[in-house]
Amino acid sequence: MTTKRQLISAALVLVGGLAAMNLTVAALTRNSVPRRVMRHARESQEATVVALGNSLVASGFRESVFDSATDLRAPRGAVNLGLGASTPVEQLLLLRYALAQGMRPQLAIYGFFDFQLTEPGKVSIGDMIGNRAMDYYIEPSYGRRFYSLSAHDAVEFRALQAFPMFADRGAIWAKVEILRRTMGQQGLPAERSNQFGRAADFTLLEAKDEQEFRQKCEDSLSQPLSPAVRELLRVASEAGLAIAMVEMPMRQAHRRTFYDNIGWQEYVAHVRKLLAAYPVTFVDASHWILDDAEFDDPLHLGEKGAEEFSRRLGGELRTEMATVPALRVTSHPGESGTP
Amino acid sequence: MTGMFRIPYLQRVMEYLAGEIDAPPEGFPVALTNFQFWGLWWCILVGVIYIFSGQSSKFIYIDF
Repeated sequence: MTTKRQLISAALVLVGGLAAMNLTVAALTRNSVPRRVMRHARESQEATVVALGNSLVASGFRESVFDSATDLRAPRGAVNLGLGASTPVEQLLLLRYALAQGMRPQLAIYGFFDFQLTEPGKVSIGDMIGNRAMDYYIEPSYGRRFYSLSAHDAVEFRALQAFPMFADRGAIWAKVEILRRTMGQQGLPAERSNQFGRAADFTLLEAKDEQEFRQKCEDSLSQPLSPAVRELLRVASEAGLAIAMVEMPMRQAHRRTFYDNIGWQEYVAHVRKLLAAYPVTFVDASHWILDDAEFDDPLHLGEKGAEEFSRRLGGELRTEMATVPALRVTSHPGESGTP
Repeated sequence: MTGMFRIPYLQRVMEYLAGEIDAPPEGFPVALTNFQFWGLWWCILVGVIYIFSGQSSKFIYIDF
């Protein structure tokens, strides 16, 4: 017959094992992408330009190229805090994190994709995996204000927060998924992929067709900026940052099907009106990269495209930056590039 | 023990560990009364379930 003592001893071993698993997951994810971006922020305290956004910015913004184009020099140049698979909430948290670490940038470049600026932040716990796991460990209570969770998910969020096994579960699952894909690929022609995932999968992030996109344009015309975007703009303004909102470069298919229609133009006009209340320069870079070969997949710029985009963005913002005292690039003759 | 006999033996071990049969195969060193072992076994099961429970997620981004 099982005694109480025996059950307790089994439970203790189980609890010990779970603690060990949590420590293992914490160790395995200590270099996860959000943590690497946070580290980059800590190591770039002197940066004067900060680039924020999702994977389009992470892959498309080249710090050194931008610095060359604007005559800035590291470490007082640009820092790319773009984070793949992130929403404005995580981008806001990263900006606040950078400021809290002592970074005092003068210009924030914010790259956006489609309806990112006005999409309401409704999420479920199931969405908060992968890079969005940072919602659990960077200012979780503050971040919670900008997305709505159901009552059940809110309780779950609090419960999961303390356990790396749950908070960072996506990083472990991704490793299993990579293994599964590798095994599934045995004997088959190699699929095109890049640092973010399978190239073909990224079409899933685009609208299904022109009609769906047009409908979304219409629906979004009455939407305000999302709370996280408003807060990001407020935080940036209060920190004295000039802000450049950049409509990121898109492939020809995306431009022709979605952006080159009246619905999108009306939506952009709507967004620009909403942004007028902030110290924002709007940069339409959607048509800057005309050659699809400069894209790595349906959404992300490849090496050459990223360089071209960063160079052109630097050139575009150079005049803008000349009005910001700390970024003035021509103030010291003979020291071009040192603000 | 030869390879031929190893597979049925392992099968019986797995059946015992999973509760399909009540008695361990001959020579299996762990008895039902070893509760530390069962604690460890539960840990292994939790770990396996944890690792593979993400299979229902549709991964577009895989770079975490």
